[in-house]
Amino acid sequence: MSSTQEEFNTHSLSVELMNEVQQFLYREARLQDTEKFRDWLNMLTEDIHYWMPYRYQRYRKNEKEPTIYDQAYYNDKMEDLKKRILRTETGTCWSEDPATRAAHIVTNIEVELSSNPNEYQVYSLITVRRNMNEDEEHTMVGHRTDTLRRVGGELKLAKRKIILDQNIFMNKSLNVYL
Amino acid sequence: MATNNDFNNYIDTKKGWVDRRIFWDQEIYEQELKQIFAKSWQFVAHDSMLPNVNDFYTTYMGEDGVVVARQKDLSVKVFLNSCPHRGNKFCYADDGNTRSFTCNYHGWSFGIDGKLGALANEHVYDKGDIDKEKWGPRQARVDNYKGLIFATFDPEAPSLEEWLGDFRWYLDMMLDGDGSGTEFIGGGIKSYVNANWKFGVENFVGDAYHALWNHDSGLKAMNNGEGFGQAVTEGSYHASVNGHGWEFGTDGFADVIIMGRPKWTEYVQNVLKPQMKKRLGELRSTIYGSLASVSLFPNCSFLPGIQTFRVWLPRGPRKLELRTWTIVNKSMPDDIKQEINIGCMQTFNPAGVLEMDDGENWEGNTSVNKGYLTRQEKLHYGCGINRQIEHQELPGTIYAGQFNDANQRQFYQRWADLMNANNWDDVPTRYTPRYSGKPTV
Ligand code: FES
Ligand SMILES: [Fe+2]
Repeated sequence: MSSTQEEFNTHSLSVELMNEVQQFLYREARLQDTEKFRDWLNMLTEDIHYWMPYRYQRYRKNEKEPTIYDQAYYNDKMEDLKKRILRTETGTCWSEDPATRAAHIVTNIEVELSSNPNEYQVYSLITVRRNMNEDEEHTMVGHRTDTLRRVGGELKLAKRKIILDQNIFMNKSLNVYL
Repeated sequence: MATNNDFNNYIDTKKGWVDRRIFWDQEIYEQELKQIFAKSWQFVAHDSMLPNVNDFYTTYMGEDGVVVARQKDLSVKVFLNSCPHRGNKFCYADDGNTRSFTCNYHGWSFGIDGKLGALANEHVYDKGDIDKEKWGPRQARVDNYKGLIFATFDPEAPSLEEWLGDFRWYLDMMLDGDGSGTEFIGGGIKSYVNANWKFGVENFVGDAYHALWNHDSGLKAMNNGEGFGQAVTEGSYHASVNGHGWEFGTDGFADVIIMGRPKWTEYVQNVLKPQMKKRLGELRSTIYGSLASVSLFPNCSFLPGIQTFRVWLPRGPRKLELRTWTIVNKSMPDDIKQEINIGCMQTFNPAGVLEMDDGENWEGNTSVNKGYLTRQEKLHYGCGINRQIEHQELPGTIYAGQFNDANQRQFYQRWADLMNANNWDDVPTRYTPRYSGKPTV
């Protein structure tokens, strides 16, 4: 029920850029699905902020934006993401053996130019279908707002904010990145 | 007997086993709602979640939804979140600030004190149809221990002070280490685990054992690739007070280091521990921050040093809702609070590198019991069964060695005591109190 009219400024957006961003997000999804986490880290800037804040259900009059000082599923910098990835490489990560099967589905991609010619704001919807153990199937949906930055000609992810739809997270673990 | 079931038949603290059916049977679960969750004092919120008049938070006591609300005089009321007209929940928000709640169905409204106020289209009622004083939602007894708000719906239950008993001596390490009090970091994370609620509680009440194996990868991640090393039994203990339990070492820093934030470790060493030593003495300032975990009977847990604080809300015998927060001392500088927030969340929430490995096990512990034969088998709780000791300084029932099932055995003993009790006189005190009527600081 937003009262302000959004202004869309997409006419200067090239098909090439749109394509490049899409390919970036699909590649990221494939690296996640295939557990190539170190390769995925190479797609991030050194000053990455990977953030998925807590979710509460509130009356409209009480709604408020989460801050980075609130609790969060993820509130990670590069060194933190590296810790998570180290966990999966120790050889003693029992809950990941047998491996989780995950499909990262990226849709609803929108690219916006910003005042910085090297940065783009990208919106997308991430759906992860996770299958594990005998027959456990979980679906998680997140609304992503990313900042992509061109570094030495290459696109990198510099910021990601993920807003989860689920109020109570419906699964025992979040062992995939959204 | 509250039913013709003697629940002492489901546990044996002398031989060290527990019957698996208590993690599966619907009938036993219904009895838990009545005998445990309708009677026990339960943690419902932290003071800091409701700082202002008209602030509220909604949660559950057993499966009974409740509203926890800050009153005009700053006291707290806890009442059922169910409209006495046709029963609908009258508050669907997790938290917020409001002067009143209005039920969606026909528009009855309730004050922040839970009292029935105006009814929508009230003229359809004739004089004498309803006595508003009598038709508000049921109110709980509410009390507070150093910032933690507790409630019970049992008017006969002992006082909160008696319920916590000598466990206050231990709780003060978490709640009163520097005299400034505690607060929760903003927000909170809620998740479902398809496991019996007791598996979460018993893990925190005494299961140091699993950390070495199950959490090896997470510990390595948080500690520069180094695991825990050998289990140390010397100078480590299980302490139980009527089912509340604290298992701990005296290494001083293991849980602080697990959080993986060097600034936090430094703060504990240079600021917090010296303050605690003055306030609570040498022993307690050493225990705080050591490898440890804690549960309050029936369903609240925390980790001193890692600072996760949580409740395990029952959702049927085969499912629980986990609510987690991060607890800090009010006096800590903002940058330290943020270090704790980040380190705690990276280890303990459904995405945390330690938490991630727990739910998996508890779901397995629970779901196997669908097998008729499987659930006739007992579970082993015999570790350290002959290690009970007396300790000069430590109150409660003390066992030597934190790698032990002692606190779990005491937890299930308390469970059986309450499940069997017709009234509070039937409920034994299973330790020798040292601090009755006395402060623990
Ligand atoms: S059920 Fe609440 S007003 Fe009718
Ligand atoms: Fe654990």
